[in-house]
Amino acid sequence: MQLGFLVDLHLCMGCKGCEIACKVENEVPLSTWRLRVKYVDVGTFPETKRTFTPLRCNHCENAPCERICPVSALHYIENGIVNIDKERCIGCAGCVMACPYGAIYIDPETQTADKCTYCAHRIASSMMPACVVACPVEANIFGDLDDPKSNISKYMQDHRDVQVRKPEKGTNPHHFYVGASQVNLNPLASRREEGYNLFNKITKLPLGGHHE
Amino acid sequence: MIHETLAATNAVVTLDVPLPDVFWGWFVTMNMWAKSIGTGLVFMLFLLLRKNSSEMSGLRTPAIIVSFIMMNVFLLFTLADLHQPFRMWHIFFYPHWTSAITVGAWMATIFVGLEFVMAAMMIRKDKCLLTKNATESFDKLLFWVTLLAIPVTLYTAGIMAEATARELWQMPTESVQMILAATLSGSAAIILLGGSKLSDETKNFFASILGLSALLAFIIYMSEYIFGSMKAEEVTAILAYVKGDGEYATMFWIGQWVAYILPMALVGLYRVSKSNSILTLAAILAIAGLWVVKHVWLVIPQLLPLS
Repeated sequence: MQLGFLVDLHLCMGCKGCEIACKVENEVPLSTWRLRVKYVDVGTFPETKRTFTPLRCNHCENAPCERICPVSALHYIENGIVNIDKERCIGCAGCVMACPYGAIYIDPETQTADKCTYCAHRIASSMMPACVVACPVEANIFGDLDDPKSNISKYMQDHRDVQVRKPEKGTNPHHFYVGASQVNLNPLASRREEGYNLFNKITKLPLGGHHE
Repeated sequence: MIHETLAATNAVVTLDVPLPDVFWGWFVTMNMWAKSIGTGLVFMLFLLLRKNSSEMSGLRTPAIIVSFIMMNVFLLFTLADLHQPFRMWHIFFYPHWTSAITVGAWMATIFVGLEFVMAAMMIRKDKCLLTKNATESFDKLLFWVTLLAIPVTLYTAGIMAEATARELWQMPTESVQMILAATLSGSAAIILLGGSKLSDETKNFFASILGLSALLAFIIYMSEYIFGSMKAEEVTAILAYVKGDGEYATMFWIGQWVAYILPMALVGLYRVSKSNSILTLAAILAIAGLWVVKHVWLVIPQLLPLS
């Protein structure tokens, strides 16, 4: 079994329901995200549109974070999930430096690395990840990539524009997108300008977990 | 290149929170800088032993002690950079051998242990395990410690290579840069430590190593600066931070001048004038500038948004 995720960006409406569900389910601390939705505005007024891209750990088959972790805190489990053992993590941030998707952060409360685990604890109880359950338009499709009859496999068979982020890195992500353009997947395809962010002054907790 | 579509798409990120900022900051710079001096001194001591062992007499103890101190500075900053420093022992009890961090931690620990033995032998001057003579034992051990110093110097390049997200750091160039940083700072350190104890011939020898290391490292940086952008889009975006009005452009050039260009020029002047003050200045500049160069190259890939 190799579990994978697919997000149909034609369906995603940027409600951030998945983001909130993830925060609640995994008790993700303030100022950190296991899953977040990126907004990119495209075009020039009045011909403009807003695109939404949920971003989470890609659970790569050839995961750089797993390779660089000096203590195997990041490790594969049998279903292909790249899991993390926070009790073993020494907080060297090697994984943060290695992940090409910027999906790993240092938890300000535990001072250890953390990231999306595809809700491995829920899957162990035969439940779907929290973000899948929360999505009101079923844009998140989750399942076994090894099973040709699974929802995700059928979805990939039915859609020709299945893509991954940064395929050139050779990480073989188990996280796919349908209906994505470069603007969604390539960080260099859009500008980041001061003053254009919907939330310009986002509070970040200092490492230690408390406001100064 | 995707960057050229920006004019057409006018795509602007209006909501995203890139998770990490600069995660490996000056603690890691200190780590690399101190390690370069620590292993570099061992390389130079070994070269001196092979070239002119009679000049080793006053240098064995101070050089190995300074190297040992710098290696401990390196280990201290490595530990301080961990968010869970009290779990450092996990590296030894749960080692993951695909990680250059693990391999490096083991090698560096053995290296520092051997240096401790060498320093203790020279200080105590008593009977040793290998021979009855401390100096002889030191010289025998120096060969093996020098061999070990090579992978200890290189493993940081391995870590940078395993940092898949940072396209700028490639193993072939980083490994050469690590060795050159060690020969640059090692030769500079031994020039400063040796002072008047070194003969003119030996000073010339170490001055040549200093100048050549600076030249080769500078050539590699300039090659990356000029040609790196022609290969990969990410590298282009990263190098923009050290070009033109880039955030780190000034610091980058300060580093190149202080670590490489000025020491090269001063070594040239020294060979003409034979002035020890000029050589001392070249050595000090090389050691100070190396910190700046390493810091800039460490930080700039971390400025690029990954999402």
